[in-house]
Parts: sequence; structure tokens; C-alpha cells
Amino acid sequence: MARDRHNQIDYVRPVRRILIGVVVLFLVGLFVLWRIDSPRVERFRAALVDRVVPSFSWALLPVDGIAGMIEDFQSYTNIYAQNQELRRELRQMKAWKEAALQLEQENAKLLDLNKVRLDPQLTYVTGVVLADSGSPFRQSVLLNVGARDGIVDGWATTDGLGLVGRISGVGQNSARVILLTDSNSRIPVTLQPSGQHAILAGDNSPAPVIEFLENPDLVRPGDRVISSGDGGVFPAGLLVGQVALGTDRRIRVRLSGDFERLEFLRVLRSHHSEVITDPGSLIAPLVSGPPMPEGMSATGEATQ
Amino acid sequence: MIAPITGHRWLFRLIFVGLCALILFFQVLPLHTAPPRVPGPDLMLCLAFAFVQRRPDFVPLFLLTVVFLMADFVLMRPPGLWTALVLLASEFLRNRHIGTGEVPFPAEWLLTAAAISAVYTLYVLVLGLSGAVSPAKGMLVMQAVFSILCYPVVVAIVHLGLKLRRPSPGDTEAVGRLR
Repeated sequence: MARDRHNQIDYVRPVRRILIGVVVLFLVGLFVLWRIDSPRVERFRAALVDRVVPSFSWALLPVDGIAGMIEDFQSYTNIYAQNQELRRELRQMKAWKEAALQLEQENAKLLDLNKVRLDPQLTYVTGVVLADSGSPFRQSVLLNVGARDGIVDGWATTDGLGLVGRISGVGQNSARVILLTDSNSRIPVTLQPSGQHAILAGDNSPAPVIEFLENPDLVRPGDRVISSGDGGVFPAGLLVGQVALGTDRRIRVRLSGDFERLEFLRVLRSHHSEVITDPGSLIAPLVSGPPMPEGMSATGEATQ
Repeated sequence: MIAPITGHRWLFRLIFVGLCALILFFQVLPLHTAPPRVPGPDLMLCLAFAFVQRRPDFVPLFLLTVVFLMADFVLMRPPGLWTALVLLASEFLRNRHIGTGEVPFPAEWLLTAAAISAVYTLYVLVLGLSGAVSPAKGMLVMQAVFSILCYPVVVAIVHLGLKLRRPSPGDTEAVGRLR
């Protein structure tokens, strides 16, 4: 019996080693392929996730809903204080609304007088957040709208309050949104009163960093940060957040979007705006008078 | 005679896949979409190592590969690397325990801690060498530490909940097909 076992082990072990070697080699090959041809593998990933995750949506959405209810129930206790605060805010908002309406009318009149042509209105597709990245190192969410709904890579996504991220990876029924907080996210932004352009770089913390700022002295905490549309990737003028000074003395942005709990996201359809490519050519007067020699021979043949 | 044991084995393989799917499911739930300050432990890793060191025949090579590769794809990790490292580490742990009967738990924990640290270290090293964007190293270290601390809890659950014990040397039916 014992000899039998030893024989078996001696026979099995080398085979097993080869097997492990082959599998590990295959996996490392997959990793290398991912490094070399990332878009292809990421497309495969998007397709795979598209097959797997939406099929669990029947379970994901109710569990998510129940967890949300429990969280809401916990906040039930301080509902009175919240109510008072909301009332106060509402009173302020009413005053602001009146001011905004008047300004809107005035603005419309002025625009009409000046014959200003506005950007075409942005339209959007709304999706439900199915899943998040599941890893503490990547910040992304999966929406239940995809290529079927006409979603295209690179489109901006908001949650109604502020910019949230951009589409990166589209499957048939799902699309992944890389959030502004992800360490791979880079967005061109404008800081509002000073009008400076900068890059908003996610670093896996709740408040992304502002990089490539020309003159940090002109920036104050509380400045508005909006998307700038540089590079033609993003529509301009979407609210991102407010400038805040981080504990590490770097200029960061407190995001307007409610990143604690993303439920419904709007994917903005961006239409390609016309791009001016050539630097402009010389405008010559139309040739009139004696025609060119070739033109003359050509017309001569045509008439004969 | 063979049939009930084989059925038993397949049942436990199914349980392993089910548990991993459950962990993945709860990780992916969009409950908190703000970036966390402290990462949680990697429970799938703990579960796989706990299974491998109790009943290696319940987590064969291909099962581990498929489950972890799936997790790689769903969790947006670089595909293949993490799986390869986990496979190598589990193979190391598997070979350690062949024919040694019962091992005291502290020894097992120490060995597992070494394996987990090795997996995380190699992960960071390879990602750095290949020039891929590596996640924050501080967070990875924290996750490794939490995983090591969580390992006894996972083992307790597996031990008490699933009655998963290392087969004693007299248990020939199980020993014969340990791997």
C-alpha cells in the first residue's frame, strides 16, 4: 500500500510541475500581452464583464437597495435637525432662484441683442450604477447602459450635481466609468475667477489634485473648478467642484458630485465639434481675363 | 465506493467557487463609491490558502486559475499576474503539507503570512519592473497586513462552518488523492 503511494507520487510530481509551469507561463503571457496591447485586452475585459456582471443585476440592485435603506434608517435619527437645515436652505434657495430667473431673462435678452450663437444643447443617457470596481485601488463604476444605447468611449458622466468621470470601456449592455478620483484619471479644467487652465489628476483619495497650474498665487480656496474642454475630449463648462487646500499643502478639489453614493449617472452625448486644422490659406482673387494655356487647349479639344 | 467521495469532493469544489463568487459579489456592490482610506483584507486569498492547506484536493489547479483569473478581470487588476503569483504560492503551501498530518495552527499561520507577503512583494516588484501603474504601495502593505490578520478568522469559519479538516494519516481514502 505504502509502496504503491510512493510510486504514484514519483510519477505524478513531474507531470504536475510541468502543468503548473504551463499554466503560470500562460498567465504571465497574458500579463505581458496586456502590457503590450492593452486596448485589445481591455476590450476583452469589457466584453467579459459585460457578460458576467449584468446577469447578476437581479441580485445586485435589491441588495444595494436594502443596504441603502439601512443606511437611510440610520440617518432617520437626525432627521429633525436635517429637516430644519433643509428649510433654512430652501429659504435661501428661493431668493437665489428669483435672482437666477431675472439674470436668465436679462442674459437671454443680451444674447439676442448680440446675436450670440450658443453651443448645441447637450443631451444625455441616464444609467443605473450596477457595480463598482470592487478593489480599493481602482475607482470606477459599471453602468447598465452600453453600446446598445449608443455610449461611446470618452464621454463625460455627471451625477446631476457635478462631473463624476468619463466612460472607459464599453460593452454591449454595460459601460465602465473611470471616476475622477481614480489614479489614472486626468481631466483638463479651468479655475473660474482666475481663468487658469490646469489638469485635475486623481490620486485615489477623495479630493483629486490640481497639477500644471501656472500661477498658484491667483487661486484661492473656494474657487470654482469647471471642465475646460481642452483637447476636445470633454464638453467645456461642466461643474467639477471647488478648490480646497489639502492637509499636505497641495491644491486639491472638493468634488461637487456626491461620490459617497453614486446611484444614477448621466452620460453626456458629446458631439464632435468642428475642428479647424489648417492655419488658413492665402485668399487670392478669382482669375479672370486670359485663361491658362492648358485650360485653353483643354477647352479647345472639348469644343471640337 | 469511489462515487460518494468523488461527489463529496465536487460538492466542496462547488462550495469554494460559490464562496469566492459571494466575496466578489459583495466587493463589487456599489455601496461606497468614495475611495476608502483603509483597504479591506483580500478574503479570496485567505480562503484559497485555507482550503489549500486543509484539503488540497478540493482546490485543484485549474479551479484556482479560473476563479482568480475571473476576479482579475472583474476587479480591474492587470490580468494574469495576481493569478500566477497566487498559484505559485498555493503550490508552495500545498507541497509543504504533503504527508505531514496535523500541523499546529501558529506554524501554519506563519507560513501563510510568509506566502501572503511574498505574493504582495512580487506583485509590486513585477508591476514596477514592467512599468505598469502600480497602486499605492502603502495601501497594498495595509491590505497584506489585514489579510494576514484575517486569516485565522477565515480558517475558523472554514474549520467550524464547513468542517474542513486535514485528513489524518489513517484516512486512506482521502490521503490517496490528496493532490
